[in-house]
Amino acid sequence: MRLSGYSRIIVAAAVLCLLPAAVFGQEFSQIPRTSNAPPKPSGTTPRTPDGHPDLTGVWNGLGDNLLGVPNQIANNGLAIESETSTRDLHSGLLIATFPRATTRPLNNEQSERAASLLRRVGSNRPVYKPEYWEMVKNLDHNANEEDPSNNCMPAGIPRAGIPSYIGQTPTYFIFIYPGQGGLIATQTMYRMIPSDGRKHTPLQDLDGTYTGESIAHWEGDTLVVDAWGFTSNTWFDQIGGYFHSENMHVIERFHRDGNTLTWTATVEDPDVLLEPWTTTPRVALLNPRPDAMLPESLPCSERDLGHIVTKEHH
Amino acid sequence: MPKKATILRTLMITAVMALAIQSAGAQNNTLDRAKVVRAAADALGMVRWSDIGAGATRLAGVDVINTMEFQGSGTSYSSGQAFKTEYHVALGYNPAAMRVDMTRTGAGGGAPQHSIQTVRETYAWNESETGGGLVPGKGTATPAMTALKDRLLQLWTLPYGVVKAALAAGEKTTVSMENGATVITFPLSGQLAGITVKATLDSKNFVTKVETRPDNPALANLAMETEYSDYADRGEVPTDIKSPGRIVQKQGGRPMLDIQVKMWEANNPYLVFPVPPNVKTASR
Repeated sequence: MRLSGYSRIIVAAAVLCLLPAAVFGQEFSQIPRTSNAPPKPSGTTPRTPDGHPDLTGVWNGLGDNLLGVPNQIANNGLAIESETSTRDLHSGLLIATFPRATTRPLNNEQSERAASLLRRVGSNRPVYKPEYWEMVKNLDHNANEEDPSNNCMPAGIPRAGIPSYIGQTPTYFIFIYPGQGGLIATQTMYRMIPSDGRKHTPLQDLDGTYTGESIAHWEGDTLVVDAWGFTSNTWFDQIGGYFHSENMHVIERFHRDGNTLTWTATVEDPDVLLEPWTTTPRVALLNPRPDAMLPESLPCSERDLGHIVTKEHH
Repeated sequence: MPKKATILRTLMITAVMALAIQSAGAQNNTLDRAKVVRAAADALGMVRWSDIGAGATRLAGVDVINTMEFQGSGTSYSSGQAFKTEYHVALGYNPAAMRVDMTRTGAGGGAPQHSIQTVRETYAWNESETGGGLVPGKGTATPAMTALKDRLLQLWTLPYGVVKAALAAGEKTTVSMENGATVITFPLSGQLAGITVKATLDSKNFVTKVETRPDNPALANLAMETEYSDYADRGEVPTDIKSPGRIVQKQGGRPMLDIQVKMWEANNPYLVFPVPPNVKTASR
């Protein structure tokens, strides 16, 4: 049987009319992980002979690239729980959430612009004294030129976040922050943090450094790292232009629950802040492999800044 | 073996049915609340996602609008008089807050009038300088609670506020066609409960007209009409967020504000709205 030209057009029209439903039905069918919400802990918390939680291990963020946008959104305090639900962990506000409009990958420009918005949408912002509001806004606006971690400088504390490796002894801790590419392209940092009961050196006797003078103690099962003696040449969060003075005082809290490590940092800086600011809690997962190692960081060699000619954020 | 005429008739009926199904679907799509509001959100560039460094993770699109800042100039009207106006607005939706810094000069000249009118959630106040009243000796904050609803309404009737509030209203939001244009109607809540918003979309799904209607006649001053036009990305840091280039506001048919927008920074800039202690105390 042969159909006339007119009939073929009708058949084709019918097929085309029904096609979108079929295609739409297949969309979003192969999404492997749709949440950046903090992981739930599992397993028991190991303890050292002196009874404290053992924080030793390689801590690998939420399971993806530590510098990936899902983790950055989480660090900014937004938990995208599903295709229809997102919560701002600081304010508790539900954020409107939608399935993606397309399965096509975004181009680089679209991805970068979206990432820049997503990194900043959370509500947990430090409150500076009003005379610094414009300055903070302009620093973030001009971050391509102003970010002090550019040119392979250390991120500093608390911007570096959760260390990728923690080594624990009865009297000191070793924290290692490998050098990173991407948003916080920085050199490797390490900290040796005594927990032997010593007191801080008076602030006026310290030369400011990127990691400050850090001293640890236990409050119950939470490790508290108290640090001061910083250079003012860092920002205290990944984005935002959050500068600080040399009088910044940082209190970090680490709490291990099974295979998770929850970290917060409180920043006190009465020179520039109206009130202390605390990060939204971040949760890292333990690398479960007993032979896990930190690979050597690539040497940080800045080659991109000279090519940036717009204020587009990266 | 069916005859050719029968086959053709069957095919034609099938095609007509398919077209009818799609046509009905299209009609439903046009009037589907979720799709209409999503289209308005997409037109503004509000729904975004990014897979940079995401590995196997594929997160949903989220509303990326929190803080914004825009500047414009034009004319404002008060008691029948027109004023040349410089308009500078900082705003945020989480928390809901807005700071309107306005300088007005009358047609007859004279000293410009400068005001900073701020609102955050359940507090409204005026600042003698930006952030006045937060640090002793650095400006003052004067409670202005009677202006609370009016200021919140300015925030929630911006295009982004309209989309957010329409989503928040859930099933109370309705969509319809009026004179060939899509219209979204929804009630506001919280401090603005009792006010209904009607937003008209253009063919590109941009919010072009927002009308507010209070249920209570005593709140007639909150009945407003605002028109938005000339949408584009106006940030120095490009975001693909579209913002209006002109804002015209009327009350009872009389012009209140006509602003040409020069800059609209949408990249969630650092803007904060702490409530001064004396404003908190006075509002208790």
